[in-house]
Amino acid sequence: MAWTWFHRLASPPHIYRVAGRLTPWFAWPAALLIIAGLIGGLVLAPPDYQQGEGYRIVYVHAPSAWMSLMVYVTMAVAAGVGLIWRMKVAHAVAASCAPIGASFTFAALVTGSLYGKPMWGTFWVWDPRLTSELILLFLYLGYMGLRSALDDVQRADRVSAVLAVVGVVDVPIIHFSVIWWNSLHQAPSVMRLGEPTMPPSMYVPLLLMLLGFTLLFGALLLVRVRGEVLSRERSATWIREALQA
Amino acid sequence: MSAFFNMGGYAAYVWPSYAVTFAVVALNIIWARRLLERSRKEALQRLAMGGIEQ
Amino acid sequence: MSALTAARLVLARDLKLAFRKPSQLIQPLAFFAIVTTLFPLGVSPDLPRLKPMAAGVVWAAALLSSLLALEMLFRDDAQDGTLEQYALSGRSLTWLLAAKTAAHWLLTGLPLALMAPLAGMALGAPSSAIPGIVASVAVGTVTLSLIGSIGAGLTLGIRRSGALLSLLTLPLEIPVLIFGARATELAIDGAAYGVPLQLLGALAVLGLTLAPLAAAAAVRINLE
Repeated sequence: MAWTWFHRLASPPHIYRVAGRLTPWFAWPAALLIIAGLIGGLVLAPPDYQQGEGYRIVYVHAPSAWMSLMVYVTMAVAAGVGLIWRMKVAHAVAASCAPIGASFTFAALVTGSLYGKPMWGTFWVWDPRLTSELILLFLYLGYMGLRSALDDVQRADRVSAVLAVVGVVDVPIIHFSVIWWNSLHQAPSVMRLGEPTMPPSMYVPLLLMLLGFTLLFGALLLVRVRGEVLSRERSATWIREALQA
Repeated sequence: MSAFFNMGGYAAYVWPSYAVTFAVVALNIIWARRLLERSRKEALQRLAMGGIEQ
Repeated sequence: MSALTAARLVLARDLKLAFRKPSQLIQPLAFFAIVTTLFPLGVSPDLPRLKPMAAGVVWAAALLSSLLALEMLFRDDAQDGTLEQYALSGRSLTWLLAAKTAAHWLLTGLPLALMAPLAGMALGAPSSAIPGIVASVAVGTVTLSLIGSIGAGLTLGIRRSGALLSLLTLPLEIPVLIFGARATELAIDGAAYGVPLQLLGALAVLGLTLAPLAAAAAVRINLE
């Protein structure tokens, strides 16, 4: 029984239809959660004792950083599944993840910089989290560069999948080494992107934002996967029916 | 109201942060939908030209 | 013929072929020397000012030189079909590529490790630091060759892949840089460098077990 479900999931026409139907179920709740989070974070939550109103950047920085990492892991898992079981749909998911993840990594870097400037006076600090985000951006760019360098989509899928799997194994190692490196050269003033300790009125909107962005990722993924799956179809009777529906 | 926009003096950091993040969100939405549209058009074209085996 | 015997034959072959073109072997080392020279020229001739950054410069130069040397890892064998023969041979491609990577290290990493103390001393390091510099660069370059082999395997079919290869490989190599530079820095300062050296060793072991597998997977996909 379970196996049939898995095989249906792997079938492009099935995915195309199901993804189309599921998208609003991700998109609208995402919008609601994000709006609720924004109201909670910008209006309802009190200012912080130390960071004043400035800490409110966390309501966009933390979701961006969360997205950057979650999307990479999703990409790597999908890539691995695609490699092992030779599933076109899995490769389509991996391909869809990359631009989403890269753009949110960029957002995390920018918001992280803007968070750091008023707190420590410089736009860039080599703190472990910002440095890790920067390296993650390079990993995304490398993945996308490798994909675009290969014309054959199938080969691009599989080669970049190897890279994604290698990358995800290396990410914890990179993160650990960066934290280690940073702790060795600790500046006298603590240069860490530290969020304030949060009472519920502060962290509930944060949770809403994190959840909202996650659902947003789901919606974006569903839309992109449909497009990716279509462009990979070489012989398909279902396309005509699906497109004219 | 102006106190809200002022963000306790941090306005120059808070609002651009929100702007950048939501620009990225909007970009992603537009990008994804455009990709799907383009794939549909291309698939229909390939069908019409007989490039897809039945 | 066991996988190990085949691997040994491939290793011997690669070494023999490489020594027929000594100029190709010198190039990464010359590059290392040039890159190292850029830093005093760009910063200051003052040795006390250079000494604090000596470890970082040596390692940055080593990473870049190692990248440059990756050209020679698979290119010739891919072009003349040898790589395909390896893949079709029924012997474990993983072992054969591991052998090629070992040859690569012997031809580039090890010489770099022997040159690195010279670069270090040119940047203000004391001669007492020589064992530490050699040890850290020798162990670190093992992992650089291994990670590099994955990058080279991934970009096998791509023309003018130099920049892409760098973009793929360098981020993955950052832990090696961090631990290696730390070990070298401690050696230069005359302190105990055992901890980062062991971390480097751990990375090398991890690389030895996983990298040839990934490289073989990448090569197979590109040969299809």
